[in-house]
Parts: sequence; structure tokens; C-alpha cells
Amino acid sequence: MKTDEILYIILPAYNEGRIIGDVIKDIKKCGYKNIIVVDDGSTDNTYEIAESTGVITLAHLINRGKGAATQTGIDAAKLLNANIIVTMDSDGQHSPNDIRSLIQPILEKKVDVVVGSRMIKPQNMPKSRIFMNKIANIVTFVFFGIMVGDSQSGFRAYSRKAYTSIYSYMDRYEFESEILGQIRHFRLKLLEVPIKVIYSDYSLNKYKNSKVSGQGFLNGIKMVIRLVENALFK
Amino acid sequence: MVIQVVVTVLIVLIILPNIYGSYKQNNLTILGAFLWAIFWIVAMILIWFPHLIGIVGDFFGVERSIDALVYLAIVFLLYTFFQQKIQINKINHEITKLSRNYALSKIKTRNEKDT
Repeated sequence: MKTDEILYIILPAYNEGRIIGDVIKDIKKCGYKNIIVVDDGSTDNTYEIAESTGVITLAHLINRGKGAATQTGIDAAKLLNANIIVTMDSDGQHSPNDIRSLIQPILEKKVDVVVGSRMIKPQNMPKSRIFMNKIANIVTFVFFGIMVGDSQSGFRAYSRKAYTSIYSYMDRYEFESEILGQIRHFRLKLLEVPIKVIYSDYSLNKYKNSKVSGQGFLNGIKMVIRLVENALFK
Repeated sequence: MVIQVVVTVLIVLIILPNIYGSYKQNNLTILGAFLWAIFWIVAMILIWFPHLIGIVGDFFGVERSIDALVYLAIVFLLYTFFQQKIQINKINHEITKLSRNYALSKIKTRNEKDT
């Protein structure tokens, strides 16, 4: 069975019209044709551009957050009977060349989930982001009892067993931590592999300017508040 | 005396009819409307007869009766906050579910055509 037939790449996207076309093109160049873009209520032309590339393009009518968009992509992959899924950021900071190293341990049936870690070789990662990631790892451990090197990485691969077990109820960025909690809960085998991160002017400016950025101190605090709310009100 | 009259007029002419209106428009259950009406009527009575607050103070064993009312108000506000938070979370989940189902309908339709 060809990997291409069973693997789906999920790209949750919000206002990525400027770059989504290039991201899809790069993934296709690496030989992966099954791509699901979930446009999360973008106000730009993200949907139209993704649709024009011929990939599966789904749309949330209104913005629900990265967690919600990723879960929609996972549900779509379920309907399409995927064997392995890979979730990636759609701002071009993840390299499609790393997909192979993410799915290999699953294809070899060694693990159920592979998390691409920026922290194993954090070459060009800004120091502030390394610090924030470490804080996020501690927060994830406190709330979900699992310690990983890069709890906020959105570049992950899941086996069918894994992606059919987990379900994200948290709509925003804190879902990455919530999923790790579920990985622990369902006793799924997890592995972290190093990934390359491409910090382009586009992605750095986006996080600097965007109100919906998952990075930054203020967003970190918001994330903790939502985790506390989730612990209280779910 | 003036403040008592103003508050009474406000309760009788605005707040109580508003509660009845909310009940008629199905925004309040009959129990909710009843409890809110009782709450405001009791408030109105206490404004006219403040010495009655002493009974509340004695009941809760606090030195100053007004403290008991403040504690009760805090408990009441916290309760309504929690209720609203639960409601907002529920609505958020519903909106996400609705958005998701709409998005996935494209694939479901495609799957149905294929079979």
C-alpha cells in the first residue's frame, strides 16, 4: 500500500491567503497529494486559494480557533478513512521534508503519535519563544500530567488508533496540550522527533501583529486561564 | 424617605413588569420569574423596614447585619457567574459543532455520491 493513499495532511488555516498556496505546493512537491485545508472563517482569500490548488478544502463559517479547525480536519480524515494523519501549521514554518521522519515510526508500528519537536535542535528559534515553550511544557504537565519537550508543536503525526481515540474539546491553542493529556489518558505511545522550523518574515510578523497568535506572553496567560476554565466547567 | 419611594417605584413600575415580560417571552422559567420576583419584593420590604435585616444577621451569626447581606450578595453573584459561564461554554461548543458539521457536509455529500 502506498503511503500516499493512506496519509492525509491537515492544514488548519486562518487568514493565510498570502502563503497557503506556496505551503500546499511545497507539500505536493514532497509527494503528498492528500491534503485537507480547514479554513477557519478567514476574512481573506485563504479558502479560494486553497480550493484552486485542488486539495480538499473545508470551511468554518466563523472563526472557531486552531483547535476546532484541526479537529474538523481530523473528523474529515476519519470520513475519508485515513490510516495516518499529519497536522501542520499553514504559515509555512513547518518543512514538508520532515513529514517522512514523523510518519516513519508509525509506519513501523513502533508508536501511535509522533510530535515534531522544535526544542530538540532549536537552532534559529528566538530565545523568548524557547522560554515560552518551556513554561507551556510545565503548564501542560500541571494540567494534564504529561511532560514533553515541545507541548505546543502543531506538527504531529497520528496513527488511526490515535486519531480515532482522541477528541479535542478546546477550540483555541490550548488544544495542543489537551491532546497530549488524552495521549496519556489513552496510553498511546508517543515519540518526539526533531523538526526544522522556518521562521520567515511572514510567520514572525504574523505572530507579532496578529491578535489570534498562539505565541507571546499575553496569549500564554489567556491559555492558562482557558485551561483553568476547562478544568472547572467542562 | 425619598430613596425608598424611588426604589419602590423602580421595582413596581420597571423591574417587576420586566420579569413578567421575560417570562411571557420565554426568557425565564416560571420558577426563575417567581424567584426573581420574590428577590425584588423582599428587597423592597427591607428598604422600608431595615430593622428586619437584623433577623438575617442573627440567623447567620454575624455581628453586623449588613455583613450578612454582603456575603449573600457575593454568593449570589458567584452563583450567577458560574451559571452564565456554563451557559456560554455550552453555546460555544454548540457553535463549534455547528460550524464543524457544516464544513464536513461537503465530504459527507461526496461520500454519498461515491456509494
